[in-house]
Amino acid sequence: MRVVIAEDAALLREGLIRLLVDRGHEVCAAVSEGGALLAAVAEHRPDVAVVDIRMPPTHTDEGLRAALELRRDHPETGVLILSQYIETRYASRLLEGGAAGVGYLLKERVADVAEFADALARVAAGGTALDPEVVSRLLRASRQAEGLTALTPRERDVLVQMAEGRSNAGIAAGLHVSAGSVEKHVASIFGKLGLPPSEGDNRRVLAVLHYLRS
Amino acid sequence: MGVRALLRAAVRELYRRRSLVELLYCVIAAPLGIAVPVVALGFAIAVGWMTPGPGKPDNASIVGMAAGLAVVLVVAPPVARRFGALYRFLAARLLGEWIAAPPAPRRGRGPAGRLTAVVRDAAGWRAAACLLLKLPVALLQVYALAFWITGAVNMTYPFWWGLFRNHPPNVQLDPVMVFTPLGQFKIVTMFGTLRALVVGVVLVLCAPWVTRAATSVDRWLMRALLGPVGLAQRVRDLEQTRARAVDDTAALLRQVERDLHDGAQVRLAALALNLGMAKEKLGEEGVVPDLDALRELVDAAHRGAKDALVELRDLARGLHPPALDNGLADALATLASSSAIPVELTIDIPRRPTPAIETIAYFCAAELLANAAKHSRANRIEVRAAERDDSLVLTVADDGAGGADPAAGSGLSGLSQRVSTVDGRLAIASPPGGPTLITVELPPRA
Repeated sequence: MRVVIAEDAALLREGLIRLLVDRGHEVCAAVSEGGALLAAVAEHRPDVAVVDIRMPPTHTDEGLRAALELRRDHPETGVLILSQYIETRYASRLLEGGAAGVGYLLKERVADVAEFADALARVAAGGTALDPEVVSRLLRASRQAEGLTALTPRERDVLVQMAEGRSNAGIAAGLHVSAGSVEKHVASIFGKLGLPPSEGDNRRVLAVLHYLRS
Repeated sequence: MGVRALLRAAVRELYRRRSLVELLYCVIAAPLGIAVPVVALGFAIAVGWMTPGPGKPDNASIVGMAAGLAVVLVVAPPVARRFGALYRFLAARLLGEWIAAPPAPRRGRGPAGRLTAVVRDAAGWRAAACLLLKLPVALLQVYALAFWITGAVNMTYPFWWGLFRNHPPNVQLDPVMVFTPLGQFKIVTMFGTLRALVVGVVLVLCAPWVTRAATSVDRWLMRALLGPVGLAQRVRDLEQTRARAVDDTAALLRQVERDLHDGAQVRLAALALNLGMAKEKLGEEGVVPDLDALRELVDAAHRGAKDALVELRDLARGLHPPALDNGLADALATLASSSAIPVELTIDIPRRPTPAIETIAYFCAAELLANAAKHSRANRIEVRAAERDDSLVLTVADDGAGGADPAAGSGLSGLSQRVSTVDGRLAIASPPGGPTLITVELPPRA
């Protein structure tokens, strides 16, 4: 997997490079600001870019803006946003153009190396990786929404995992239940939320997010 | 409004309690307002008359009058305050105009100190100015009283005309003068007295309005000069300093967030990343294939943890130096001991200021010491903190290059703003070539 990293904190940048190289990925470029990220992606055409939201010069959301530009100009490159905070508004802006090849994780998730690598691989392959925090925020925001209240706690767990971008098998492994019962839960959720059942992880995520946002 | 409505309003006004009370106020205030400045001026002239000097004994001496005026000047603030209190009482009782008393004058120490305190009593001087300005206002009030009096008198003409004008035929009597505040006219016949009656009625009907105008000017004058010093100005100052304090706090919080975000949080994230990788290298069980890499990762994590601790400690100390818990003396001593340039510290603070004041004093000292270390090229710094005249005075002096300019860097102007949020003052004396003396004066409580 070919990766470009944009992170202004040298310590984390080095750590990320080491992690990725250790796992046999190729880090084409590691930059520290948005403009350089766009240039590096244009040059290297990586599978995925890991982008810190807050970078120089304004230290606000230049990472996000660069990511949105990447989505437009290089849709084949996945973008995994890293941030120390979760802003649902940022998440929605990021997901506006579609959830394919998009990830939004808290920075601390890099500590769970294997999971982080999985999420990165998922985004590189055109999948989705949303932080559980993002999903639970979105869930909380739409708690009043009809239908959600009809979900059982177990179904809610499944919904959260589904929104994070996991497949049924992934959800089954995460919740320690059988794939069959996950399928049943998913069907029940779709039924209660009034979503048409469909194939493919991204469409599931999209459908769920669309529902949560509405 | 028709004539009839106007007339009805005027008659109603005449019977309102407010009109009568304002009349009463004018009756009391007008003579007082004229008498006080006249007596003061008369006193000065009398002293001038009695003092020997050139041109004696017939003339007032200029020197003597000056001496009299000087006495008036010294006596004026406290006496004016008394009269101010009397006027405030009258205004409150009669006009319902409640004016807050200005704060009591400062008391100086020693004869010279007492004299200075009297001469510098701003509220006393404003009261004195009020007494002087009362003179024209009192004349206006007399004018208003004239409406009442002449009006009332003119209305009586028809009633006594017959008593005094039953003269024998062919006797020519002088015409009778009718006075009004607006002019005078003569009447010679009974019919003329009716004119006087009408004029009198009009005058009395107008009197409440004229009285109101005169008392309004008086109210305005008293509000402006007998209340606490520059209340409006004070409100503006407080609004400004409050806005600055709020901005300061917001900026501080933002800075703390940024420091945490770019410092400790990054370090902890990197630490977690290193530990995560180390955990992977360790595997679930059995032999670890790459011990060197593992050692390196744990080593980096260990270093990262220590760095994060240092960073957090510095940040916490920046928010509130723990040494301040034991008072300013300890905190300043700690500060002085860590200065690159030798610091001579003198502290004389018998009563502890409030924590907010201590904190501001501490940060001023810290910033000033840092400035001195950065720019002054001084050999030694003198830091003094003392209680003086009910305020905390912090001075930082160095024998360096001088030329400290609040306009150049934001450091000094920032300090000055911070100090002003608690009504403190920061004075800078730093000629090019040195030495530099910076004085921070803070109230004992914020």
